[in-house]
Amino acid sequence: MISNREIPKADFHDLETLWIQISGTLCNLSCTHCFISCAPDNHALPMMQTEKVLGYLREAEELGVKEIYFTGGEPFLHKNFLEILEVTLQNFPTSILTNGLLINENRADKLTRIAQNSHYSLEIRVSLDDYEETRNDSVRGLGTYRKVLSAYKRLWERGLLPILAVTEIREYYSPDDSPLDAFEKYVELLGSLGVLRPRIKIIPIFEMGMLPTPDSPTYITPQMMTGFDHSLLQCSTSRIATEDGVYSCPILVNEERALIGDSTLSGSLASCDLYHTACTTCYATGMTCKNY
Amino acid sequence: MVEHLQSNRTRGQKKWEDVPVYNRVLLFGGVYSNYIALAHLLKNCSKMNAEAIFCLGDIGGFGPHPNKSYEYLRNTRVTTLAGNYDLSLSQGLDNCGCGYTDPRDNHFAQISYDYTLQNTSRSNKDWLITLPSLIRFRLADLKVLLCHGSPRRTNEFLWDSSSPDHLLHRFLEDSGADVLCFTHTGLKWYRQLEGNRHAVNVGVIGRPENDGTSNVWFTLLEATGKDLQCFFLPLNYDYSRLIDEMKQEDLPPEFIETIQTGWWTTCLEIMPFKERLRGRF
Repeated sequence: MISNREIPKADFHDLETLWIQISGTLCNLSCTHCFISCAPDNHALPMMQTEKVLGYLREAEELGVKEIYFTGGEPFLHKNFLEILEVTLQNFPTSILTNGLLINENRADKLTRIAQNSHYSLEIRVSLDDYEETRNDSVRGLGTYRKVLSAYKRLWERGLLPILAVTEIREYYSPDDSPLDAFEKYVELLGSLGVLRPRIKIIPIFEMGMLPTPDSPTYITPQMMTGFDHSLLQCSTSRIATEDGVYSCPILVNEERALIGDSTLSGSLASCDLYHTACTTCYATGMTCKNY
Repeated sequence: MVEHLQSNRTRGQKKWEDVPVYNRVLLFGGVYSNYIALAHLLKNCSKMNAEAIFCLGDIGGFGPHPNKSYEYLRNTRVTTLAGNYDLSLSQGLDNCGCGYTDPRDNHFAQISYDYTLQNTSRSNKDWLITLPSLIRFRLADLKVLLCHGSPRRTNEFLWDSSSPDHLLHRFLEDSGADVLCFTHTGLKWYRQLEGNRHAVNVGVIGRPENDGTSNVWFTLLEATGKDLQCFFLPLNYDYSRLIDEMKQEDLPPEFIETIQTGWWTTCLEIMPFKERLRGRF
């Protein structure tokens, strides 16, 4: 229950990063740890209309937004995604968060062309959840391990230097069975594919969505914010645009309370409540959903 | 609390009256305790006829004997602004505030910062406190704003491939400047924007710029009326002496390798795709 506690706020600094939930909560996978329960049949947040995406991009340019992140769901499920990406990269450094399953040879070639034609960086982040096949597939679905690594290799071979994004789900499920340095395990795995410059991002898990909420949830208190640099919290510098409006945080797009403003970016630039356990994770781990 | 990471945006502060006026200036960033390169530059720059010399911050870190670099800057006519490193040291913070998020980047950053903090004198920390975050001047008829990372945040990374035109325009619009100069990333770049506006990452003299050569880079800006010319100039110095001193101080072999080979071995994860692609690691 959160009704009787005092909710601190995160100051808003500047809109540096715009996330775009381009495919809503629609995904071709149903990962067991997904914080917004994305799935092939989850229409909680619909696929975004192309014109709506372009509208947010225009507003972002006017506001001086530094970078765009496309996420979902699975962004490549959007029928116009590559065209939208190409337009976006003409004006913004851009990142894609993908499970990689739809990156076949043809799409990899198109991504390469799009990346080469832009002055700005295209970052492609491909998700994996364990360096062991059976463990990964138990989280992301049977056969995904091999498909993800094939996609990663496809991108690597084209010089796109993809980032492998891995969660700490192994530590969550089997804390006693986790290596001291998981990072090295992923370096070893990518090395076996011939990847000489592995880029790996390890992300904490959020106990929400597909995972059960914790028995004893912890929340940020006003005292914890005293002397804390608010700019270390993502909501002080980023927003996420969806078909249904603008949210304060990419983790909280299933939360009506995180819906902010009047569906415009300029209307969303205000301090926001740090009311959720996810806020505590962000606060405590210093994590960022961004690449770096 | 890392106070220096709070926003220092300049919106509405169009303070351009009574600023100094020059025609030709020399700029560099990121000394990173490479006092050998710094001394070499200061000794040989007189022939360039620069009317003023500016250091855009991050004086310590990475290299040996940080006090030597502070002393060179304090005892010469260089005008220096504060980088994130300088602010962290002056406030006695426990990390450099470089803005890394990757554990490997932070691992090496912490080794570098701990050494520098331990080897920076009280007097130099007190001097660092006095450094400004922004510097304004006119270059002929152009208004120039200097900062370390960006005008809004000392530790913001403005890489060429991660800095959209519209953001640079906004920084310039907010400050009323025509030319924005910054450093922090370690890689130099220049972009002319519409409306005779300019963005210049002046590079660093502390370590090579991930191109396989051992030299470092500084910048010369010259203007006639509203015409700006930007020159990036290589600086060759006695890096073998620097390496010897880094070894004597037990600084990480990864740092020494970078000085020797010109390829970055650390701080790689913060680098965007396009810049990373040009390096070796």
